[in-house]
Amino acid sequence: MLKTIAALGLAATLALGVSPAALAAGEKVSVITPFLAAIATGEMIEAFKAKAAEYQWSVDVVDTAGDMAAFASRVEDATTSGAKAIVLVSVDPAQIQDQVDKAKAAGVPVITIDGAKNASSVLNVTSDNYALGETMTKFLFEQIGNKGNIVRFFYSAHPGVHQRELALDDALKANPDVKQVADHYVAVPGQVDDSRAAMDAMLLANPGDGAINAVWAAWDEPGIGAELAITAAGRKGIIIAGIDGNPQAIELIKGCTPYVGTVRQGFGEMANIAADQLNKILAGGTPDKDELYAPVELITRASLGVTCN
Amino acid sequence: MTRTNLNRFGTLIAFVVLCVGFSIASPTAFATPANAFNLVQQMATLAIVATAATLVMTISEFDLSVGFSASLAAVICFVLFGLGYDVWLAVPAALLVGIVGGAANGVLVARFGIPSFVATLALGTILSGFAFGLSGGQSLFQKVPDAFKGLARGDVFGIPVLGFWIVLVLGIAAFVLNQTEFGRRLKAIGGNAQAARLAGLPIVRDVIVTFAIAGGLSALAGLLLASRLGSVQHTMGEPLLLPAYAAVFIGTTASPTGAPTVAGTLLGVAITGVMVNGMTIVGVEPFVQRILTGVIIIVAVLLRRVGRAQ
Repeated sequence: MLKTIAALGLAATLALGVSPAALAAGEKVSVITPFLAAIATGEMIEAFKAKAAEYQWSVDVVDTAGDMAAFASRVEDATTSGAKAIVLVSVDPAQIQDQVDKAKAAGVPVITIDGAKNASSVLNVTSDNYALGETMTKFLFEQIGNKGNIVRFFYSAHPGVHQRELALDDALKANPDVKQVADHYVAVPGQVDDSRAAMDAMLLANPGDGAINAVWAAWDEPGIGAELAITAAGRKGIIIAGIDGNPQAIELIKGCTPYVGTVRQGFGEMANIAADQLNKILAGGTPDKDELYAPVELITRASLGVTCN
Repeated sequence: MTRTNLNRFGTLIAFVVLCVGFSIASPTAFATPANAFNLVQQMATLAIVATAATLVMTISEFDLSVGFSASLAAVICFVLFGLGYDVWLAVPAALLVGIVGGAANGVLVARFGIPSFVATLALGTILSGFAFGLSGGQSLFQKVPDAFKGLARGDVFGIPVLGFWIVLVLGIAAFVLNQTEFGRRLKAIGGNAQAARLAGLPIVRDVIVTFAIAGGLSALAGLLLASRLGSVQHTMGEPLLLPAYAAVFIGTTASPTGAPTVAGTLLGVAITGVMVNGMTIVGVEPFVQRILTGVIIIVAVLLRRVGRAQ
């Protein structure tokens, strides 16, 4: 009897947990990501939800916490549960090609935000990730006089992040006086703590002044972790730059910490563009292009009007 | 229905209640053949990994390397595809790595007396290092032969191919555990290892073989997952670990003795699969999904204890 009561209790709890969006009227749009814990991904999804509210869509958000098998399963669920569109955030649809193909075959349009172009999706809205990496790397190298030692924090599993890494690789070839003395593949989720631990180790392994001149962070959160380690160790002469325009990173830049720059991706802009294009698609139209870029902006102490001694 | 029957069939009743509840909540999406097809596909790899966990738990040990083995097998297979090897070489090679890794776990536990929690976690970490190194940390999805994709995609007479894998693997495991001398020895070892040793059972050999089978099953699950997705990430199998053991624990609540069984594990897999699938379809908030998944595991185990006490 206890088990039956428990099952009924769970069913009641389920009913209480049903999102208001799921009960709302309007077109049902499924937003699915494996990386909701990342600040940038969360920002994109919140911006998309806000825009979707204007269009009176019912939005279900699903996070699989890095689990790609669950991610594929949830795309299947969305396809069969009557979603009018599927929005994939921060992931390359080629990683679940079969599920994306099935959605297309079922007539459910798939769009990606911060993802990659794919034959079975109708649109990808992103930043030009190579250009992001190129902009940040050029700035960072200039800050150290195009000479010195850097460490790299990277995450090649993300297609956009990998493009930034390729930009760094090209810049290192073009600037032989800049040497990469260490690198770290960042663990996701838990990226800030993981990066701090890695930076702690790098500082111990490279103890002398000038042994490390700069930290190249493929996105801001590893850079924030590195900043924590550098500040705690009291090491001077090391600067950090990242990508995303994370609010915490901007505060660190304002605060005259080792964090000197970030390239702001227009995450809100991406989500807005995606929602506007999806509105066209749901009305029977087609997107302007199969890939659209949101504008980017280099944020530095100078651009923020901050002077540090 | 008597209290005994409620205790025995309560977990099954809970599963039925969940299915009925989701069917009422979303009759046009949950209670459809297309969703049943999805559910079978989604449960298959977890069912196989959970079966590996069941075998190891039968001898009262844990294998924390199952997810890492699954990842490494998939990575090895895709790396071999990238080097131009065909499916007939890549798949057996990947399975062999899983079996060898599992056997190594067994040796560490049975021969050297290292607690299985420690041994399998350590070896799993080593396996994850190889998977990371071989993949370069990147997602692999190129040069995948169609024959490989066919391992886990599509259907036969409307039944998902992965459904046949569930029947095949779990059927063999259930037969081995319940109908063979080897299976009875495993239960004896799990019930009282000291008594089994005094009775002259080949404990060291059986433990090594059990871990080797678990490694092979984990590798198979990784390959089927890779076939289903068409891509491989070096961490892809790791999220299978906790749901697999959750499924086994839920399954023990359906067992008259509280011991892990293949049928109980399948029920546990089905409950966890239906929970996640149903909550997604109904539109339950992601944070509630996580809370409920944890709650159901605790409730299941507590109810088992209450049932036993009664």
